[in-house]
Amino acid sequence: MRGIPESERNVAGLTRYIDDRELPARSLFARPVPAPCARGRLLGIDASKALALHPSVQVLDARDVPGENQVGGIVSDEPLLAEGEWGYVGEPLALVLAADRSLAREAAALVELRYEELEPLVDEREAAAAGSFILPPQSIASGDVAAAFARCAVVVSGRADSGGQEHLYLETQGAIAEPGEGGGVRILSSTQSPSGVQRAVARVLGLPMSQVEVEAPRLGGAFGGKEEQASTWAALAALGCRRSGLPVKLYLERRDDMRWTGKRHPYSTDFRVGADAEGRLLALEADFYQNSGASCDLSPSILARTLFHAVGAYRIPEVRVTGHMCRTNLPPFTAFRGFGGPQAFFVIESALDALAAKGGWDPVELRRRNLLSEGDLFPYGQAAERCLARATTERLLAKSRWAELRREIDEFNSSHALEKRGAAIIPICFGISFTTIFMNQGGALVHVYRDGTVSVSTGAVEMGQQVFRKIQLVVARELGIPESLVRVAPTTTGSVANTSPTAASTGSDINGMAALAACAEIRSRLLAVAAARLGAEAGELALESGEVLREGAPTGLGWAKLVAEAYLARTDLSAHGFYATPGIWYDPKAGRGEAFAYHVYGCAAVTVRLDALRGTYRLESAAIVHDGGDRIDASVDLGQVEGAFAQGAGWSVLEELAYGARGELRSDTLSTYKAPDITFLPELEVEFLEGRPNPKAVMGSKAVGEPPFMYGIAAYFAVLDALRAARPDLPAFYDLPMTPEKALMHLARGRG
Amino acid sequence: MKVRTRFLANDVPVETELWPGSPALDFIRGELGLVGTKEGCREGDCGACAVLVGELVASSESGAVLAGERVASSARYGARPSCLLALGELEGRHLVTIEGLRGAGEGLTPVMRAILEANGSQCGFCSPGFVISLTAFLLAGPPYTEEAAFAALEGNLCRCTGYGALRRAAAALVRDFSGLPAGYLERLEALTAAAVVPPSLLAFARGELLPALPPAEAAAAAPGSAPPLVIGGGSDLYVRSPHPAPRDEPPLLLRRRPAFTGIRRSGGLLELGAALSWREFFASPELRAAVPGIERFEAELASPLVREQATLGGNAANASPIADAAAMLIALGAKVRITRLEGGPVLRELPLEELFLGYKKLALAPGEALASFAIDAASPRLFSFEKVAKRSRLDIASANSAACLSLEGGRIAKARIAAGGVAPVPLLLREASAFLEGRLPDAATAREAARIAASEASPISDVRGSAEYRLTLLKRLVLAHFERLFPGRGIAEEALA
Repeated sequence: MRGIPESERNVAGLTRYIDDRELPARSLFARPVPAPCARGRLLGIDASKALALHPSVQVLDARDVPGENQVGGIVSDEPLLAEGEWGYVGEPLALVLAADRSLAREAAALVELRYEELEPLVDEREAAAAGSFILPPQSIASGDVAAAFARCAVVVSGRADSGGQEHLYLETQGAIAEPGEGGGVRILSSTQSPSGVQRAVARVLGLPMSQVEVEAPRLGGAFGGKEEQASTWAALAALGCRRSGLPVKLYLERRDDMRWTGKRHPYSTDFRVGADAEGRLLALEADFYQNSGASCDLSPSILARTLFHAVGAYRIPEVRVTGHMCRTNLPPFTAFRGFGGPQAFFVIESALDALAAKGGWDPVELRRRNLLSEGDLFPYGQAAERCLARATTERLLAKSRWAELRREIDEFNSSHALEKRGAAIIPICFGISFTTIFMNQGGALVHVYRDGTVSVSTGAVEMGQQVFRKIQLVVARELGIPESLVRVAPTTTGSVANTSPTAASTGSDINGMAALAACAEIRSRLLAVAAARLGAEAGELALESGEVLREGAPTGLGWAKLVAEAYLARTDLSAHGFYATPGIWYDPKAGRGEAFAYHVYGCAAVTVRLDALRGTYRLESAAIVHDGGDRIDASVDLGQVEGAFAQGAGWSVLEELAYGARGELRSDTLSTYKAPDITFLPELEVEFLEGRPNPKAVMGSKAVGEPPFMYGIAAYFAVLDALRAARPDLPAFYDLPMTPEKALMHLARGRG
Repeated sequence: MKVRTRFLANDVPVETELWPGSPALDFIRGELGLVGTKEGCREGDCGACAVLVGELVASSESGAVLAGERVASSARYGARPSCLLALGELEGRHLVTIEGLRGAGEGLTPVMRAILEANGSQCGFCSPGFVISLTAFLLAGPPYTEEAAFAALEGNLCRCTGYGALRRAAAALVRDFSGLPAGYLERLEALTAAAVVPPSLLAFARGELLPALPPAEAAAAAPGSAPPLVIGGGSDLYVRSPHPAPRDEPPLLLRRRPAFTGIRRSGGLLELGAALSWREFFASPELRAAVPGIERFEAELASPLVREQATLGGNAANASPIADAAAMLIALGAKVRITRLEGGPVLRELPLEELFLGYKKLALAPGEALASFAIDAASPRLFSFEKVAKRSRLDIASANSAACLSLEGGRIAKARIAAGGVAPVPLLLREASAFLEGRLPDAATAREAARIAASEASPISDVRGSAEYRLTLLKRLVLAHFERLFPGRGIAEEALA
C-alpha cells in the first residue's frame, strides 16, 4: 500500500484495528461465558458438551488463573473469572477457547451453569437505603453552610437525576495475546492504558511486569470506556494464551459489549441552593448518589471529580457536597469523557434553573451575576487563576445576539401554539489534571535516526483525539524540522514504562511535555555538535526550518547533515523525557488542595424547536465560545469541541440507557440505543478565545478533550425552556436525558 | 446442494461455494481479507460495513425494474450495509469496497481527500463507511445539494467528530461535483475521469466484466430436508440472527425472483412486488402518481443504506407491530397476495390487516409467501404518515400511524387510519376510521377520532415507550394527521384546548 502516507491511512480504510489483524496460524478465539442474571451464586460449571463440540475447545474457569484472580485497580473487588457470587449480567464466569470465532460462540452457548439466582439491587437510591456502598462517602465543605442558608432570601431544594451513557466506541473491546519470547506474553490491546493492562495481566498470570509487553495500536474510539475496562478482556486473552500456549484473540460483538461493559455513571442527587435578594449565590448543599455498579472500578476518582465540579462555573462561598458510591448489580460504571463532571454540571444547572424560577430571576442574568472571577476560591480552596468565565460568557452572549434572540423566541412562542422554541446557555469551568495526583506523570522516548527522521514514543494512546498529531507538531517545532520527518510510534510498554492512561484530557499536556523535554536534550546535544563545527557558541545557535541558525541567520548547516555528523561524532541521538505536573496536591481528608494545574472555561448557547403536538424536539442552533489557549492544531481542537458537544447533547436529550427491574440492559443494541446522527445535530458555531496562551501546558495550549462535553447539557435546559413556554403552569423537571416521551407526558399532563 | 455465487469483487471475479445465506460482511472480511470494511453493529445501524453494490439494470433508474431481466444497457450502484446483505445477493453483481475505490492503489479518491482535508476522520473506524456513502451519493445523480448529501449520510454513525467536519467534507464535494451529468453512464464516465471511482465500475456497467448470468433458479428442496431459509431484504433476519448457521439448501432470495419483484399497473390497481426494496417503492412513479406526496415520508423509514435492502413484504412478514411500511399499506387499503414460496399463481388475497393474527403471528401456512400488495390507484386520496421515535432518523417508532382519506363536498367520504406500536399487530383503527366517514374535518371530529383510536389500542410498555405514553402519542398522531392534511385550520390547537 505504497503511496498513502500514515496520516491519510484512515480515510483509505488502511488502519488496522484489533479485529483487522492477521493472526498467526493455530490462533484460538476466546469467548467469555457471561453471568446470566444480575446477581447469583455459581454452584458448578459443566463444560462437557462444549468440549465435545470440537477438539480445539477448552473451557477455563477461576481455578485456571495462575496468579491472583483479580483485576480491580483501586479496590480488589473484581475477579477476572467469578468465584462463588457474581454481581452483574455478563460478568465473566468462564472462558471458552476454540479454533475460530463461530466455534467459540457455539461452544460458549453449550457450557452449562448450575447457579442460584439472588435478588439484585439496580437503583442507586435503593442501594443506599440498603447500605450497599463501595467505599465511605466523600465530602468537600467550605464555610458554615447552615449559617449561610439562614442568610438567604431565596432557597430552593430539589432532585436531579442523570442517566448513564454507552460509550459506543465504534471499535468494540478486544485484545490479542501471544506467547512472548522469554516465557512471558505479548499483548495487543484496544486500551487507553497499556501500563494498566500490563499490570493486570502480570497480576493475573503471576508474571513480573517485565515479562508482559503491551501495545495499544490506534483505537477505534474509547472515550474512557477502554481506560480501566480494557484490562479484563486483555487479561482473559492472556489467560487463554497462557493456558493453551497459543495466540488467543478476544473481540466482543456489539451487543455483548453493550451488555457486559460499564458506562457513564447514573446519578441521583438531592440539592439545596440559596441566594440573597439580589440573586447572589450564598450556599449550596448536595448529596450525590452515584450508581457505581457491581465493583469499584474508577468510581472514587469519578466521584471526586463530581465534587470538585459541584459549583460549576459559579462562585458559591459556602458549600457542603457529599458523594455516595452505591454498589448495585449493574456492570461496573466507569470513565467516560467528563469523568463525573457532567453529572455535577447537570445538578448545579438544575439548581440554578429552579432558583431562577423561584426567585423570579432571568436565568441568564442569574448565571452572569454569579460567574467565577479571578481569585475566587473553589470549595476545595484553590483560587481561580486566569479565569475566563466572564470573558467567554460575555463573548458568547454578544456573538449569539442573546437579548435579540430571546425576544425573537418569546415572540415566536406567543404566536405559535403547537410549536415552541427554547434556549439556554451553560458556562463551564473544568479542572485539568488527574484527580489522583500521582497519575500526573508521563514519559517520552525520542530517537533521531541517521537519516534525520525522528521517532517519538510516549504513553499517549491514539484513539481518534489526534494526540499523535499534536505530539508530532510539538516535536517538529521543538527540533525546528518539518513535521513530515517526525513519526509517532505505536504506544507500547516496552518503549515508555509506567504510563498513566490517556485520559482526563491530559494526553497531550503530559506526553507533549515529556516529548518536549526529550527533544530539548537532543537539541542541545546537536547544537553542541553544530557549535564545534561552526566555531560558534552553542548559545548563539538555534534549530529552525530544518537548519542551524546563528543569531537568526542561516549557516548553511541543514538538519540532515547535522544529524549525520553528530552520529559520526558518536553523539547520543536518543533521549528520554519525563514530566510530572508541578504544583498540584490534594488532601482528600481535609477536602483541600491545588487539585488542578489549571481550568478550562467556555460558554455555550443552544436553541431548540419543540413540536408541542407530538412532543418531539430538534436542536436548532448551537454556539460555543471556548478557551483553548494557543492551539497546537486548530482543526484538531475544533474536532474535539464539536465531537464532545455531540456526545454531551446526546447524553442530555437523546441517549437513554434502559435497565429492567432484574438488572438487565434493555437498550442493548444500536436499534434500541440511539446516539446522535448527522440529522440530530444542529449547525455548530465554535469560536476560540484568541490571545490567551496557557502557561501551564505544552506550548501555551489547553487540554480540550473533555470540557466541551458539558456544553451539550444546554440542550436539556433549552428543551425545558420550550416546555415551559408550552406549559407555564407546570414546574420543571430535572431528569436527564430528556426524551420525547418525557416531553409529551409533561405537555399532556392533565390534558390528554 | 451447493450453489456457487459468482460476482466481481472490486476488479477480481470471485466464485464461491460458501452458503449464499451467509452475511456478505463475513465473506468480505474473512474470505476476501478486505478488512477496510468494518463490523460495527451487525444491525445496519452504524454504516461501518457499507459497501457499494452495482447491478446491471434494464433501462431506467426508476426502480421499475424486474430482477432477472438482463438487458445490460446500464447499471446502478447503491451503498448497502454488508452485515444485512446475503452473500447470494451478490450473484452477477459488482461489489466495491473501500479498497476497490482506489483502483490501482494510486493515492486517495476525491471523496477520501475531502474527508481528510476537513479533518473528518478522527478514530477512523467509521471513515470507510462514510467514504462509501458519499461515493454512492455522487453516483446516485442529482440533486447535488448539501441537504441531499447530509441525507445520504443518515445511516452512518460517527462517535468522534460530531459530524461538523463530515458536513464540511460533504459540502465541499457538492461544490466540486454539482455539475455531474444526469445520465448514468455519462456520470459514471465523469466520476471515473475524476478518479472518484475506479474504471471497473464503468466496465461493469458496459457489460464488459462479467458475462450475463442466467437468473437464479428457485431451488427445489430435496425431499425430507429442512426448508430453505427465505431471505427478503435481510434487514430483520440478520438482526435477529446475525450468524445464521449454514444449511444444506441454498436460501431462497426473494429479491432475485421475478415473481416477487416489480410494479404492475392493471386497471385501477397497482401491484407492488413484496420483495421491492423501500427505495424502489418510494422511487416508483406509479406509486407517486397513485398516492401523491408519499415520497416525502421516505426519510422517516430507516436510512438510505437500509432502504436499499429492506423490503415491503419483509416489513409485513416480520409481523412487527411497529412496522412502518405495514401501517402505510394498511391505510392504503392494500390487499396482500399470497403465493407458494417457489412462485406460481396467487393462492389467495386478503386485506393486509387480516394477515396479522397476533403478536408475530401471520395467516400464512408453511411454504407460503407474500407475493405482492395491490392498492387502489384509481381514486385520488389524501395520505399522511406520522411517526415518533427517540431519534428522527433511522429509529424504530414508539408509535406510528398512517391515514388515507378521500373527500366529497368537504366531508370525509372514506377513511382508513392505521397505527403501529399500539397493539400486538399493525392495527387498522376500524372504529375511528368508520367514525370519520361522512364528517367534516374539524376539531370536534379530530378530537373524537383520537379518543376512539385510543380506545381501540392496547399498547404495552417496552424500551421504546410506556403504554401510557403510546396511548397519549396515538391520540396526538391522529390530531397530527388532521393538522397535516388540513393545514391552517387550527384543528389540533382547538382539539387540544
